[in-house]
Amino acid sequence: MFNTGTIYSNFTPLVKSPVIGYRISGEDVLLILKKLTKRNFFKDHSIMKLVELHNIDGTILDKCNVVYFKSPNSFTGEDVCEIFIHGSPLIASQLEQLFKDFNIPGLRLAQKGEFSFRSVLNNKYSLKQAKAINLIINNESFSSLEYNKKILFEGDSVSGLAPLREDIVNLFSEITASIDFVDDEEFNFKKIMKKARGFFNCCNKLLHKNRTKIEQKNICRVMLIGPVNVGKSTLFNKIIDKDRAIVTEIKGTTRDILSNQIIVDGKKFEIFDTAGQRSKQGRIEKFGYKKAQKLSKEIDHFFILKDKKTKNRDLNQLYKDFDINKNFTIIETKSDKFSYKSKNIKINHNLNREDLFKRINLSRIYKKYIAHKNHILEFNLSEIEFLEKILEYERDILNEKDILIIAQLMRNILDDFSYEFGYINNEDVYDRVFSNFCIGK
Amino acid sequence: MEHYDVIVIGAGHAGIEAANICEKYGLKTALITKNQSDLGKLSCNPSIGGVGKTHIASEVDILGGVICKIGDKSAIHYRVLNLSKGPAVWGVRAQIDRDLYAKNMQKYIKSSKIELIEDEAINILQKNNKIIGVDCINAGKIKSKVVILTTGTFLNGKIYFGNDVKEAGRIGNSSSKELAKFINKNFKTMRLKTGTPPRIYTQSIDYDILDPQPSENNGIFLSYFTKQNTNKNINCYITKTNNKTHKIIRDNLDKSAMYSGIIKSQGVRYCPSIEDKLTKFGDRNGHNIFLEPEGLNSDLVYPNGISNSLDKKIQLKFLRSIKGLEKCEVDQFGYAVEYDSVDPRELKNNFETKKIENFFLAGQINGTTGYEEAAGQGIYAGIHAVVKLKKAKLDNKIFERDNSYIGVLVDDLTKLGVTEPYRMFTSRAENRLKLRTDNSYERFATNISTKIFNKTDYNLINKNIANEKKIIKKLESLKYSPNDLMKKKIKVKKDGKIRNGFEVLKFLDPTTNNFKDFFNIAINQKLLTKIYFDSKYEVFYERERKSFDQLNKNKNMNLTNIDFNKIPSLSREILEKLNKYKPVNLHDAGKISGITPSALFQIIKHKRIKGTKVA
Ligand SMILES: Nc1nc2c(ncn2[C@@H]2O[C@H](COP(=O)(O)OP(=O)(O)O)[C@@H](O)[C@H]2O)c(=O)[nH]1
Ligand SMILES: [Mg+2]
Repeated sequence: MFNTGTIYSNFTPLVKSPVIGYRISGEDVLLILKKLTKRNFFKDHSIMKLVELHNIDGTILDKCNVVYFKSPNSFTGEDVCEIFIHGSPLIASQLEQLFKDFNIPGLRLAQKGEFSFRSVLNNKYSLKQAKAINLIINNESFSSLEYNKKILFEGDSVSGLAPLREDIVNLFSEITASIDFVDDEEFNFKKIMKKARGFFNCCNKLLHKNRTKIEQKNICRVMLIGPVNVGKSTLFNKIIDKDRAIVTEIKGTTRDILSNQIIVDGKKFEIFDTAGQRSKQGRIEKFGYKKAQKLSKEIDHFFILKDKKTKNRDLNQLYKDFDINKNFTIIETKSDKFSYKSKNIKINHNLNREDLFKRINLSRIYKKYIAHKNHILEFNLSEIEFLEKILEYERDILNEKDILIIAQLMRNILDDFSYEFGYINNEDVYDRVFSNFCIGK
Repeated sequence: MEHYDVIVIGAGHAGIEAANICEKYGLKTALITKNQSDLGKLSCNPSIGGVGKTHIASEVDILGGVICKIGDKSAIHYRVLNLSKGPAVWGVRAQIDRDLYAKNMQKYIKSSKIELIEDEAINILQKNNKIIGVDCINAGKIKSKVVILTTGTFLNGKIYFGNDVKEAGRIGNSSSKELAKFINKNFKTMRLKTGTPPRIYTQSIDYDILDPQPSENNGIFLSYFTKQNTNKNINCYITKTNNKTHKIIRDNLDKSAMYSGIIKSQGVRYCPSIEDKLTKFGDRNGHNIFLEPEGLNSDLVYPNGISNSLDKKIQLKFLRSIKGLEKCEVDQFGYAVEYDSVDPRELKNNFETKKIENFFLAGQINGTTGYEEAAGQGIYAGIHAVVKLKKAKLDNKIFERDNSYIGVLVDDLTKLGVTEPYRMFTSRAENRLKLRTDNSYERFATNISTKIFNKTDYNLINKNIANEKKIIKKLESLKYSPNDLMKKKIKVKKDGKIRNGFEVLKFLDPTTNNFKDFFNIAINQKLLTKIYFDSKYEVFYERERKSFDQLNKNKNMNLTNIDFNKIPSLSREILEKLNKYKPVNLHDAGKISGITPSALFQIIKHKRIKGTKVA
């Protein structure tokens, strides 16, 4: 089923929005375009064309932009077209119905990852690059985003594993040659083992270096705490710019913890809104407050919000309840209503977002907690796990004296590399043997 | 008109083994060769064995073949390669006296019931795509149920000395055009290339200034059954090319058939010509040349390492620049041969062609190189002819990849095809630790019978097996705790585990004295080495067994819902095939040409990762 037929799928979410995009790939693209637009796209490749899409009965489905990419100059390497319909899920469903009504054999909805797969199959991307696309889309940290982008744009060779793959194929080739072609060249067991040790040392070093990097945080966690009704949720909403937390005058509406990730100046933050503390808490609020307390260990920085009504007693309670240390900023709220004489940051709900950000200065806070920003990793997480797996062989191989057993274990490592980089077969090994050593009489 | 069960065409290594085994199983067998004197001729280098090659040869030996026995009878020099590495990769190699080998072989064949026909086959006769016989120049039509074609490199052969081209199979053989037409018409063929060095007169070599390589006649022979080699053993000698040699060759590359562009076919990577070596490894100061005597009474030497297709004059010039060869005279110059071979994917798994029933192909015609590879295919085709004619039943397991090099060879050829002449390397076998030359009698146990062995040989095997069993039984009855072993100065984990003698054996230094001291059992060195490695490799055998068991158990694994594209470790070719043929289960997948066992493991592995239940 996979890899046959012409496939289509939306590449934007099917929600009300300015546009919804569809991509079609396969040999029937031109035919579909002909049926859809009543015109021939054969010569109009890689240009965006404004056209009318026709229903089978001749009525117009939509008037929109279409681009045709001629094979092999497309994402998948096949004929591809992209259709940008108006962003109505209803039009989208009509378009999909139309595809079905065309009754073109093999035309079908793409499976997940199928476009990428075809691009791998047609050598548009390597296996690693396709994986990198996936990782970029589902990316968690900026540093690994940069790494995955590098793989995608520059190819497998920039993967931190690429030199290791070279090393292991060379090492395995030498071992193979030392067994199968003993009398053709001089092979030295000690030298081979030295290379094996070198290989594992290299794995260990890379692993160590990158594990610490990956463990390094690249997200700064900020928690808003303060008495009830001081304006925490109001600030939270302003920061995240969404009507997510419910803001109300009734005391204690934020009863659980809310959090949201935002990116400011290319830096990533996670902001936590909490239930306020007050003497008479409802059961759920108490629960929320407790939860916030627990979480406070993982928080980098606290914004302690207070207003004129806030008593010292309330603040002291906060210091007691949360793991604050010195990592906090005091923010005085409702400055439109109250006037303050302190040097603390003052805010109120009339500030626009830009002014607000100037005052709370998240960037400075980020720098304080996150040492290296945007460092580029040499590995992504799946590669780190892979390295750990390879290193499981280290002891067995280095302690072994029988070259045949070593070869057997090395073969397993090679198979693991196959899983990561695509198949390495005997012929690849022999190619290396015959180009590295003068074999044969 | 004569009526045979089997006609074998071609009396090289493949043809002889095929005819021999058919005869042993009681088939009425004819062997057609153009010239009786060609029978058992070593066409290339005068040696048998080596790493990988011995492995196949020893399997032929235990399957009832002749190459090892006649080889030992005609050997004049032995070496064992990889002796320091354990018997799984030991490669005994024997220098063979050409004349003796041919003489011994002819004597053997003539003493058998094989009917030797001196004739030239010009056509294969078939009816409804089934063999009915062979058409010969002199004898005319001869009927036969099965035909096994083993004619080596005869197909459209061309010989090149420099820019000189001749049409011929091998020197002195005219290419058989008619038969070639038949093959080309019916089967897909491909063009391959091979080369050979010049032959030098012994008397013209100055041995006094060269390093001798003496024979190591140390009791390890080609054949399981050989007790001793009574021939006089003689030395080989080593010399080297030098910068002067290299310059002569480099300056004249335009006079080499392989480099001037006349030959376009694929050469052999592991059998490079001296031109190749210089082009690829020009930085070396010299390349070794092994001067191998062609026989006790022969006046010729085979200089192994300098096969080439240079102009004759240049050959002589570069030879004379080499130490010890300053005054050498040449009998026959080196040349390159180009020939057609049949794409082995035309063959079924039993070496019968897919198109014509009862028509088998074996040997170099299938795109292989080497005597041993040819012999292995000959006996394989022969045995399957026997099975086809219902004269014997076969335990198919013996020719699985995990049980024999012949199995690896057959699997590789019929599934993957070849792009260059195929030679066996031990690294081709996934199960290398198990496929040892010293345990072939175990791997082929189910096939050992009085049909293929005479009484003496048969009794010898059985006696040895009984002796081994007895010793193993004794070993297994001995029990040792970690403490016992500590006292005997053997370090094991203090896991409280009681180990039997067989399990302890791997911790000993395997000398017969040690063995006697430790277990109080007498044993010969050969058997000790064998069971020592059995003990040592047991864990790996166990692992391998498990994965192959897994393969077998999962043969019915449903693949209809599996998305092969999600298995990153499958090569593109394999993916395309799986997607094209859509095998319904693992067993089916394994039958698709090009699908390797490792690919099957990857599929199982993938299914396991994805959480589907796997047996
Ligand atoms: N005048 C004024 N009222 C505010 C300001 N910020 C919040 N409020 C009001 O204070 C009340 C409680 O705010 P809320 O954000 O829910 O407080 P929380 O309990 O700390 O989350 C609401 O009625 C808000 O409208 C401000 O800057 N100025
Ligand atoms: Mg709130």
